[in-house]
Amino acid sequence: MKTFISPLRSIAATVALLVPLAASAADITLLNVSYDPTRELYQEFNAAFAKYWKAKAGDNVTIKQSHGGAGKQARAVVDGLEADVVTLALAYDIDEISSKAKLIPKDWQKRLPHNSSPYTSTIVLLVRKGNPKGIKDWDDLVKPGVSVITPNPKTSGGARWNYLAAYAYALKHNNNDDTKAKEFVAKLYKNVSVLDSGARGSTTTFVERGIGDVFISWENEAFLALKELGPDKFELIVPSLSILAEPPVTIIDKVVDKHKTRAVSQAYLEYLYSDEGQDIAGKNYYRPTKPEIAAKYAKQFPAVNLIKIDDVFGGWQKAQKTHFADGGVFDQIYAK
Amino acid sequence: MTFRRKIIASLIIGSGVIGASGQALANDSEELEKLRALVQELDQKIRVLDRKSELAAEDAAAKKKDTPVVKASASGFGLESADGKNSIKLRGVLQADYRLYDSGANDVRNRTSNRAGNIDVISGFHDASDTALLRRVRPTIEGTLFGKYDYRFTPDFGNGSAQVVDAYIDARFDPAFKVRAGKFKSFVGLERLQSGSDIKFLERSYVTNAILPNRDLGIAVHGDVLGNKLNYAFGIVNGVADGGNISSGSEFNQDKEFTGRLFATPFKDNDSALAGLGFGIGGTYTDFQGEKNLNFTDTSAADGTRNGLPSYVSNGQQTFFRYGGGVIADGKRTRIAPQANYYIGPLGIIAEYARVSQEVSKATDGSTAAGGGNINTTIVAGTNKTLHHDAWQVAASYLLTGEDASFKGVKPKRDFDLDKGGWGAWELVGRYSEIELDKDTFKDGAGLYAAEFGGTSTAAQAASRAYSDLTKSAESAHSWTAGVNWYLNSNAKISLNYEHTEFDGGALQKGLVQATNNNASGSNVRDREDERALLARFQVAF
Repeated sequence: MKTFISPLRSIAATVALLVPLAASAADITLLNVSYDPTRELYQEFNAAFAKYWKAKAGDNVTIKQSHGGAGKQARAVVDGLEADVVTLALAYDIDEISSKAKLIPKDWQKRLPHNSSPYTSTIVLLVRKGNPKGIKDWDDLVKPGVSVITPNPKTSGGARWNYLAAYAYALKHNNNDDTKAKEFVAKLYKNVSVLDSGARGSTTTFVERGIGDVFISWENEAFLALKELGPDKFELIVPSLSILAEPPVTIIDKVVDKHKTRAVSQAYLEYLYSDEGQDIAGKNYYRPTKPEIAAKYAKQFPAVNLIKIDDVFGGWQKAQKTHFADGGVFDQIYAK
Repeated sequence: MTFRRKIIASLIIGSGVIGASGQALANDSEELEKLRALVQELDQKIRVLDRKSELAAEDAAAKKKDTPVVKASASGFGLESADGKNSIKLRGVLQADYRLYDSGANDVRNRTSNRAGNIDVISGFHDASDTALLRRVRPTIEGTLFGKYDYRFTPDFGNGSAQVVDAYIDARFDPAFKVRAGKFKSFVGLERLQSGSDIKFLERSYVTNAILPNRDLGIAVHGDVLGNKLNYAFGIVNGVADGGNISSGSEFNQDKEFTGRLFATPFKDNDSALAGLGFGIGGTYTDFQGEKNLNFTDTSAADGTRNGLPSYVSNGQQTFFRYGGGVIADGKRTRIAPQANYYIGPLGIIAEYARVSQEVSKATDGSTAAGGGNINTTIVAGTNKTLHHDAWQVAASYLLTGEDASFKGVKPKRDFDLDKGGWGAWELVGRYSEIELDKDTFKDGAGLYAAEFGGTSTAAQAASRAYSDLTKSAESAHSWTAGVNWYLNSNAKISLNYEHTEFDGGALQKGLVQATNNNASGSNVRDREDERALLARFQVAF
């Protein structure tokens, strides 16, 4: 009798333990509002995080993605789109979410390592195979007859990095003369035939529609184009100078508190810094910030002379106000 | 020599030709390059144009998501946000009526006024007057906010007055749970809940116009459950007299009225013949215990009420019953209303019954507006009584032009259009309805017919006076109605009703003058003149 009852008791005890667990497994949905080119990155990352969270907390997490020009995406969140997390192209757009909508605290960027940027990137030039127009550096983009593809800095975060990289080049080669730099970017944008609203749109224009001679591109977009369509179609040109792009991430506090998803949203972003998260970033051609993983992917990325926005432009607030606000330099130089 | 010249000449000519060909080839090659470059340039330009067109279309599609939508149709005019969650709509009902009386007396309240012209000296009644009138002039502003908060505001400028008919917010938290607050139709009677532009007859039956409440101020919870086959509604409202429509916002008494209704359509969505059957029950309850506003006059369909009590009107809209000026609502008022409707093909049937049980008392003095002498009101002890009044109706409609009957309006299969040979929709309607008042209404404390207890009556007279005078107010009305509705299109309708109503009581016996009131046996009572009336309406609704 004892030998019969003991296993029964063990089974009963196990079931008693499991039932609450099974009963408490929740179905959670998060919305990640991201910038344009990160689709492949988050497709892979989301699957990995869902598996990780299921094993850790037992909950089923579904992450819905929204992609678009970073500026437009930030405005959508300010206007009420209930994002649990944002993973945008530049800090200024997230600052807007804080200042205009008061959805996150002002010091949001300090809450995660590396100024809340789990990966970095930069801007490179993508040309047709054989480089028929002989593009080697930024000054080749202002030559007559060269058709340039880049998105609209008023809507796209990547486009603003592009613009600032070109402007920084012009400053360096003109003794920091803003007037000359302004003329330089004016000539460059005169050569732009199509101004898409986001980086992925520009990729479509250059790669799929076959428009333009050179595409000022996110580094990851350039690698993606080479990978998807083969190195026999395009070549990557590393300019002599480019900009360190730090796409930041944050939870949207008021939304996660309303949705009661703070814990899982925080874990989601922290997982970007984990070994697996960093590895996925590297695989998708984003430069990991974790030294061990960065070393693993070091050979994948070309060596680029990178300037920082704080050093050359005084930070995003100043750069936005000077160049991209209504009536700023971009509005002055770009004829619609 | 000739041969050598020929050869030399040939060589000279040949080298010239070759030289010329080589130059031509070189020129052709340049031309080809230029052409190639031109083609590439043109190709790029075409691609750029295509891409810009594509981006413009994407932009337009994105903007369309934010662009408000202007709507103008047969069901109204309005503006709606791109996501459909916010809207405002203008609708309206205009009804121009004509009432032609072949016979019939006028309002009981006008008996004592001096007028020239025909007068039934015996009964003291004037003839009911033929009249044209604007029955309903109701612009409606309605809409939705945030996808779930509906609002409606309807004033009415008909009948020579201006009032707010509907003003409410309906929060649709869930199809099974909605909250309505403001002034709205009480969720009690079936026919009342039918829109004034959709009713089959020009005037609703006694069940609706006499016994059951019209509109009230308050809050109600309502919804559809059990697969939309059961509709429920429960409300707490100020409480109105029978047929009453709160207009002033104030009320007779602080006690609230509870309303409730359940209506089932269990065979809906079935293929059976019973798919169009609906049945239910509604009711109200209140208990006037506290202070009573005896100055209170609340506008109902045809006659101002007094002291919390109603007047009742005939189908021709002439008041045939009124309580005495010294009678007040005092205590409980309960209404019960079983109801049903049935629609199958072109045939529609509605049947309703309503009973009101009203506690009344006799009161002396009070304000002049209440018929008193403008001194403190006293409720006379021992005069409280519960009076039960009943009404019922059965009505049928039949669409001759093949449209399906329904609770809502009729959309003709073919609009009236002589050029296209369309005659609109034609509908025959018929109804029998009656109202029976409690005989104790007209009896005194000893159970004998008596004169009414008026506003100037004294406490000593209470025992020998009735709550209403049978020589002035009828104790029952029985009405036949036959009519036709012509729906020119979904917005315009022309209606014609013939009404015939017979009354019991309500006038003084021949040979007597009105100074002689009711007597104990009621032998000086005769029936109020039959009302025979032709009612016509031209309606536009959108």
